[in-house]
Amino acid sequence: MSAIANAQPLLSRSKSRDGHASFTVSAREAFWIALEALRVHKLRSFLTLLGVVIATTTLIVVMSVINGMNLYIADHIANLGANVFILDQFNWANTSDEEWIKEQRRNKLIRMEDYEFLKDNLQGYKAIGAEAWRGRNSAPVIRYRDHALYEVQITGETPSMMGIGQQQVGSGRYFTESEYEHSALVCFIGNDLVNEFFPNSDPLDKVISIGGQPFRIIGVAQTLGKTLGQSQDDFVQIPLTIFQKLYASRPGIDVNVQANNSDQMLELEDETRALMRARHHIPYKDTDDFGINASATIMGLWQQLTGSIFAITIAVVAVFMVVGGIVIMNIMLASVTERTHEIGIRKSLGARRRDILLQFVIESGVMAGVGGLLGIALAVIVAKLVDMVFTASVPASAVLVGLSLSTIVGLFFGIYPATKAARLDPIEALRTEA
Amino acid sequence: MGVQTLTSPVQEYYAPPDSMLIRVEDLWKTYDMGAIQVNALSGVSFDIPRGEYVAIMGPSGSGKSTLMNLIGCLDTPTSGRYWLNGRLVSELTDDELAYIRNKEIGFVFQTFNLLSRASALHNVELPLIYNGTPAAERVERAQEALRRVDLADRMNHKPNELSGGQRQRVAVARALVNNPSLLLADEPTGNLDTATGVEIMNLFDRLQAAGNTIVLVTHEHDIAARARRIISVRDGKVARDEQVR
Repeated sequence: MSAIANAQPLLSRSKSRDGHASFTVSAREAFWIALEALRVHKLRSFLTLLGVVIATTTLIVVMSVINGMNLYIADHIANLGANVFILDQFNWANTSDEEWIKEQRRNKLIRMEDYEFLKDNLQGYKAIGAEAWRGRNSAPVIRYRDHALYEVQITGETPSMMGIGQQQVGSGRYFTESEYEHSALVCFIGNDLVNEFFPNSDPLDKVISIGGQPFRIIGVAQTLGKTLGQSQDDFVQIPLTIFQKLYASRPGIDVNVQANNSDQMLELEDETRALMRARHHIPYKDTDDFGINASATIMGLWQQLTGSIFAITIAVVAVFMVVGGIVIMNIMLASVTERTHEIGIRKSLGARRRDILLQFVIESGVMAGVGGLLGIALAVIVAKLVDMVFTASVPASAVLVGLSLSTIVGLFFGIYPATKAARLDPIEALRTEA
Repeated sequence: MGVQTLTSPVQEYYAPPDSMLIRVEDLWKTYDMGAIQVNALSGVSFDIPRGEYVAIMGPSGSGKSTLMNLIGCLDTPTSGRYWLNGRLVSELTDDELAYIRNKEIGFVFQTFNLLSRASALHNVELPLIYNGTPAAERVERAQEALRRVDLADRMNHKPNELSGGQRQRVAVARALVNNPSLLLADEPTGNLDTATGVEIMNLFDRLQAAGNTIVLVTHEHDIAARARRIISVRDGKVARDEQVR
């Protein structure tokens, strides 16, 4: 009979009902113990968690600011228009000065002939346009009656440019093909000029003087607002043909190509590159003597920059987290000592090593996780403040990263104190004064 | 992990009959104090049948605490064998002992050993937590155990809101909640006044009458006299083992 009693495997219950169930039950118990411990020792917990809170806040604020700037750059600076790339004399995303100097030496101007050539030979684009720029500091004076404006951005455009970029007609119209071909003295202006010259009257069909030449206003652009404090609405656009006649010393242009969709972008970029290389007779081993720039080019350059900011942040946060983790470990060790008697009681009632281990690891993890939550809350507030004066947007991923990172730190640094607790001898532990 | 099974020849040969809840056989416990070795127990043997009410007596230093720790599966002997409820538990690992403590043994301590921050109910729930009993069943069984010790109206009180006798009754409820095969009490009245002590001893009588096996460790004669059998320990050996009732 006794042999039969023995035949029953000792831990049979432990394998069936106890196994999984007891893990979740004791994990849940551990979770409540952790929250209780936090509640009882509010100040102590807060001080303990400061490191983790600061680390999480730093991480999320930096992520938010970078994210905010990314959105901003993507929206305002790198936004050349939907599926648009720009053929320019230079690559905009030059990474080294050396490369830049090389390009300045060998790259050729993009000229009207290039534009005409691409317009005729490039296949399947949605739109193609060209524009030429004058720097603000060499811009001619613009006058209306006794008003004068300086340093206004003047560009020459093909009629097709409307719709390629972000620009929209607010009132009036854009240039016609006929005006373009006949080098008509007409202009399309930004809202800043309207505010300056025609605060109370209709600007359409008024004549302004650009560098002494009379231009009739045919249209006003929709307001674009400011980018990095620089107004995007103080510009005058004139037909590219008249621009080149007036400013013949600046024959260089940009060619803007718009693809039908993003898939076609690369195809068209490649085709443009091939056409231009053929046109410039570039041997196949040599690099391009022109630049093909897309939104992605600018974003890529930007992300290189933010990447290094982010790497530094990661390093700083890692240091904070380790320090925060060590502080948590320290307080957990104190907590184990403080609760030796309790551990003894639990062990006498059947808590296994892993139950005690779990209890303290979870307590440490929950504590750090709460620190992470505090950090996130703080970061959201800081990000809001930063957004008022600069730009910041808390990405959802940052919240997840902050919470999981801090919890993992807590779990990790809880292992050692928890192991100590789990290894306590129940008799010794019970003998300790409560 | 089926640690002790039919295939173990030792167990098959020596295993006690089923009527014996406890068999202790030539139990030794030696503490290594560096230069010298101290024998806390030097070959203790006895059987305790199911339903028995045994007091283990002895002056301090006699080895009765060591014996209690071994019977309570809080410790393992240096040599010798200990069967509890048909299982050879003297050679188990820590976690296996924890399992035995949870399933087979209900402790009642002199200092109650309740968790001070937890309610009476939660204290009684603890053993059930460590065998994975779901919450609803846990609460139900803990309430039932508290009713058995007449504390139905004190369930949500914390230990510091209870009298000594009430605390000890919570401890008894906690010891009983898992329906252990052995109730092991270590000086259960040591921290109580005489009247409350008697109350607790009456509770033990009732539990024994209901079929529980009780082992009581004490140094007080009048407490030990409540048991039916007294095992006196002296210098690590059984000095006397007598049926008193």
